[in-house]
Amino acid sequence: MNTVDLPRHLLRQVSKPARYVGGEWNSVYKNVPEASDEAVRPFVRFAFCFPDIYEIGMSNLALRILYDRLNKRDDTWCERVFYPGTDMVDRMRELDIPLFALESKSPINDFDLIGFTLQYEMCYTTVLDMLALGGVPQFTSERGESDPFVIAGGPVVYNIEPMSDFFDIVLIGEGEELLPDLVDCYQEWKLSGAPREQFLLSAAAIEGVYVPSLYNVTYNQDGTIAAVIPAKAGVPAKVRKRIELDLDQTSFPTDSIVPNMEIVHDRIFLELFRGCTRGCRFCQAGMIYRPVRERSADKLLEQAKEMEASTGYDEIGMLSLSTSDYSQLGCLTDSLLEEMTPNHTSLSLPSLRLDSFNLGLMEKASRTRKGGLTFAPEAGSQRLRDVINKNIKEEDLLSAMKLAFAGGWSGAKLYFMLGLPTETIEDVEGIALLTEKIEEIYRSLPREQRPRKLELTVSTAFFIPKPFTPFQWVPQMSQEKLREHQRHLRNLIKSRSVKYQWHEFSTSWIEAVLARGDRRLGKVLHRVWQQGGRLEAWDEHFVLDRWLTALEENDLSLDFYTARERSYEEILPWDHIDCCVDKEFLWQEYQRALTGELTPACHEACMACGANCFGGGICYEQR
Amino acid sequence: MNNDNENRAEVFVYRLIFSRQGPAIWLGHLDMMRTFERALRRAAIPLSWSQGYNPRPQMVFALPISVGLAAEADLIDVSCAEKVDESDFLKRINDKLPEGLAVSSCNLINPGRSSLMSLVSEAVYRLEANDICVAAKHVLEGNQPLITEKTRKGKTSELDIRALLLDWKCIDANSLDIRVKAGSSSNLRPDLMLKLLTEQGGLGNLAAADAMITRMELIISEE
Repeated sequence: MNTVDLPRHLLRQVSKPARYVGGEWNSVYKNVPEASDEAVRPFVRFAFCFPDIYEIGMSNLALRILYDRLNKRDDTWCERVFYPGTDMVDRMRELDIPLFALESKSPINDFDLIGFTLQYEMCYTTVLDMLALGGVPQFTSERGESDPFVIAGGPVVYNIEPMSDFFDIVLIGEGEELLPDLVDCYQEWKLSGAPREQFLLSAAAIEGVYVPSLYNVTYNQDGTIAAVIPAKAGVPAKVRKRIELDLDQTSFPTDSIVPNMEIVHDRIFLELFRGCTRGCRFCQAGMIYRPVRERSADKLLEQAKEMEASTGYDEIGMLSLSTSDYSQLGCLTDSLLEEMTPNHTSLSLPSLRLDSFNLGLMEKASRTRKGGLTFAPEAGSQRLRDVINKNIKEEDLLSAMKLAFAGGWSGAKLYFMLGLPTETIEDVEGIALLTEKIEEIYRSLPREQRPRKLELTVSTAFFIPKPFTPFQWVPQMSQEKLREHQRHLRNLIKSRSVKYQWHEFSTSWIEAVLARGDRRLGKVLHRVWQQGGRLEAWDEHFVLDRWLTALEENDLSLDFYTARERSYEEILPWDHIDCCVDKEFLWQEYQRALTGELTPACHEACMACGANCFGGGICYEQR
Repeated sequence: MNNDNENRAEVFVYRLIFSRQGPAIWLGHLDMMRTFERALRRAAIPLSWSQGYNPRPQMVFALPISVGLAAEADLIDVSCAEKVDESDFLKRINDKLPEGLAVSSCNLINPGRSSLMSLVSEAVYRLEANDICVAAKHVLEGNQPLITEKTRKGKTSELDIRALLLDWKCIDANSLDIRVKAGSSSNLRPDLMLKLLTEQGGLGNLAAADAMITRMELIISEE
């Protein structure tokens, strides 16, 4: 087994060396058997890569679930690989140290399978840099018989076309279902001694596995797609996602790794459910993770206890897309609190809808001090909230604030989006008006009920149209108009009790290109990487000019991807991927958006989106 | 006041001697505190918690250790709410510590009035680097002041290491032990000794940067 040596002088030079040494509690170490012992079942070495730094990657639940799932197999060793800090990357290049896995310190090109989890589009150039740093040929077409296979998974892969030149295999759906099948398939292929393409062909036959190189894409004169056709027999025309139906039966990592250094989400994760019933029209997660599947409160309590004992963490965080929609939230919270109080373990409740019930829960959970309140009205006017199907009424929001203030809270964070479809300047003004109304409520309280100064934070992000949402056809608002909307809002927020935070526009622009991009962007990504692109999800590492130049060099226009209204008939780059939400449903939702018609949540009424094809989840529960 | 003390539950203080090596030497002081706290929780040691809004387990490290330094016998006092069998404590904690950390002894002590931190007076460090002893003999023999510059919070000042150096001994050509003042009132960081030896004794820069530094012993003054 090859390993890299990390000299002390190197680790003393870089910040946070604990990122690079491994050895954390519950990390998994295995012996790699000699080749002669593996005649029956080849031993598989899997490098699980997260294209961001340790603190971010270790906070990701998918990594923890899949690390555990793969390492439960005796014939597989899954190790972790993160993008090093830029200080470390530069030194590694100077010292000729290849990118390595934390457990064995083996360079990643020694592995059989290299799997990336992709959580956001802006990580793409980091992926390219990780391959380069690991000595793995970046293009699938350049990889030979002795090279690893490079795999992608995660939410972003529902449209992986811009990265399709670089990934041999893409897993559509939930990895704990897909990865074991893929590893089995790899072992059979390795025993057979067949050439590399044969593994790709066999893998493509597994449900949920997408092999981009086995599809030919042709384009029309105007740059839109003419056709996407399987290149070989046995390759499915459409790849359907795979999911776990029964979350109580799936493996969950109770022996989760406990990092020695502080990470972003440094606590026990309790995954309440997958999917979201709400159907907000801008939200990709709300569509691609359908149908909603809950884990039972009993199971969660059992997992919490096991994890507390095996990790020693003093905080439990609930994880889901909308915690308050968990059907057994009240009883789960009560039993968790009862169980944890003697051990001084605290409970954090994110993404709660604010009503009196949830405020009560939060009050109970905040053992020591009041945590922050967050609301996500997303849009400033009722009209626009109806367009995006964000089912929050202004009066509900204001009465929730009233309750919160009465309960002792004196601040809140409000999240909005700018540039939503049909947004006008009046909608933007609605954001400022809403904050004024909240201030008014606070001021109207008797003096003794408001010992502290009111602190409101308004935070805006730019809306980015995403594949597999009802807004997958819409143009992104022009840069000029977006700037105008943002400037207007900034001028309107004058109160000293309100802090306004916003994101840079230029990142959103490129994210929008990549989100709905096609295969021609592969060359652009490679060019941006060549020019030094890496860690571009971080504003300080993002350089817009690199992208604009690379697009121009490849005769591609930014407007083609962002500013164009797509028609229903157009073949979208991701149409050959099936997330089991029908295109007709998405289109119908788009039309309802334009007329401001609300769509009920799954637990209220079924709108026949198509997610019932799995034969389980909320689609088959009593309403 | 009296009443308060009577109400306070009895606390049992255990002094642990621990070593750190391997990947654990790259932890910072806060990482060490977190890591020990979690290990103690995994070991189900009945910790005693501080009062107040944000109760913390009561643990005192004798002297923080810098990132990149190993330790042979550092000290930590852990307060427990119940009496625990010492050998049981030792076994349980060692079963739950991550790679590189190990506890070699655990003793119930009579808690004095001063905290462990204020009792530390000296430390012995072993510096291992190529040909370090030639440099040490050249620089340290005699009684002349040993002046080097130290930088703290962006400010550079002169420091006489002689005043902080209590004893030194060459173990072999590549290994030097130094006994120095340590603790909150006066303290010598071992990297300053390496700096001095490169500046004045011809120790190679790379040898110094790559040196293995181990805190061999912490000496505490009795109350």
